[in-house]
Amino acid sequence: MSTTILGIESTAHTAGVGIITSEGTILSNQRSVYIPEEGEGIHPREAANHHSEELPKLFKKALDEANLSSKDISLVSYARGPGLGPCLRTGATAARAFAYSNDIPLLGVNHCVAHLEIGLLEGAKDPVLLYLSGANTQVIAYAAGRYRVFGETIDIGIGNGLDKFAREAGMGFPGGPKLEKIAEGDELIDLPYSVKGMDLAFSGLMTAAKQKLESGYSLGQLAYSVQETAFAMSCEVSERALAHTGKTELVLGGGVACNSRLREMAMTMASERGVKCFVPEKALCVDNGVMVAWLGHQMMNADYQITEEDNVVNQRYRTDMVEVTWR
Amino acid sequence: MKFRGAEAIVETVEWNGQIVVSKVRNKRGYRHPSLEKRLVVERLRSESRIMERLLSRGISVPALYSVNISDNSLLMEFIDGSTLEKALREKDFRNHLVKTAELLTMIHSCNVVHGDPTTSNFLVTDKIYVIDFGLSSISEDDEDRASDLRVFLESLDSHHSEINGRDIFLSAYTKWAKSKPVLEALKVLELRGRYNLMRG
Repeated sequence: MSTTILGIESTAHTAGVGIITSEGTILSNQRSVYIPEEGEGIHPREAANHHSEELPKLFKKALDEANLSSKDISLVSYARGPGLGPCLRTGATAARAFAYSNDIPLLGVNHCVAHLEIGLLEGAKDPVLLYLSGANTQVIAYAAGRYRVFGETIDIGIGNGLDKFAREAGMGFPGGPKLEKIAEGDELIDLPYSVKGMDLAFSGLMTAAKQKLESGYSLGQLAYSVQETAFAMSCEVSERALAHTGKTELVLGGGVACNSRLREMAMTMASERGVKCFVPEKALCVDNGVMVAWLGHQMMNADYQITEEDNVVNQRYRTDMVEVTWR
Repeated sequence: MKFRGAEAIVETVEWNGQIVVSKVRNKRGYRHPSLEKRLVVERLRSESRIMERLLSRGISVPALYSVNISDNSLLMEFIDGSTLEKALREKDFRNHLVKTAELLTMIHSCNVVHGDPTTSNFLVTDKIYVIDFGLSSISEDDEDRASDLRVFLESLDSHHSEINGRDIFLSAYTKWAKSKPVLEALKVLELRGRYNLMRG
């Protein structure tokens, strides 16, 4: 019997409500993004205020678009971490209110694993996930009962690095897409390339780019060089993970995976290596409620037993803390 | 023999009438050509310098015959042995583990960290050789050394859970005069979330 699952996302900038059927048909994907004051980064409390104002509207819009009423929903799934405390708590409160008032089961899930599982909806069976977002930069793959982190940033997330450089250059949030627009030329300015085994570091790269900007290099050419360097590092570590695990599929996820140049590089790497590359559509790469709903469904479909702990938010809920019982 | 690693193709070839190993870093189409060129030169240079350094201190690594920047290749001695991964399935495994630990202390005392000392990167003949310096670097940092230990222990864990190699290996490593801070750094490293859970 077909069921419908509602998912709530609120780990950072994005408030999202998504509805998907148990067959994987997306009925609605509503999102609203908190934009900080110009020249400033995210303020967790203000982002949480944004989410608490937006979530009720998003619930209504999602149900309207899906042409459903709340009693048609069979499971409420929400991202319980990792993320910013106030944002997580706002999403969890909304999820509880909606679930309890309509007498629907409630499940908190891991945000990073949701990014990976939505890639499986694209047809991948056992991939390596290159997960590039603001705060998270990880290479993840399934091994012995868990999604393991084979490589990750040892300082800042790639998206935060891009945003920070864009901010220094006078561009507002989100900086990554703005850098992509102004990137120009084909000549590379030398910047630090920092890969250590399967781990990466971005802060040195972004600092060097900022210094070069101050010393008079063109912003367009720097934006181009930052992208070329940071994305090549990301592709290299995912290639290492593919070689190490012997897996033959690559999935991209996270907001930075919307970047066209990154997508192009990842596809080149995959075809040179003879592996398949799956690139979810942009609305499913960024933070969204659909992926949260889909993961919740996968877990419940495998008779996952909800514990009390599953409904407590956890800011540091790491990918590899989740015991994968559903595959 | 031909093997495709993460960044290079390693195969046996004939060179001046003998069988040698060639390691060629193949081009990455996704990388900007000038970045590609810079990385290949940096890595070729680092790898060959580290091999030279270890060779000159009498450590068992393959002899380096040729470094060619124009085609990104290294030619080196072919070591006709079995990997430590296979050798640890024999009854002699204690002796192999002790020798490998001694070899690692010698590498570390040359201020080199290997970067990827898994059981597949040691070859056993009448002695034990260490190969693949693609991820190696010059460092005398105890945390980098501890990270070598962690990589080795992890590959023991995943491929050889049937033998309790950890204690044998670590007690042989401890014989090195400078091992104490390294083992302390290892403790800290293993307490960090990711590594802790990776063992689960």
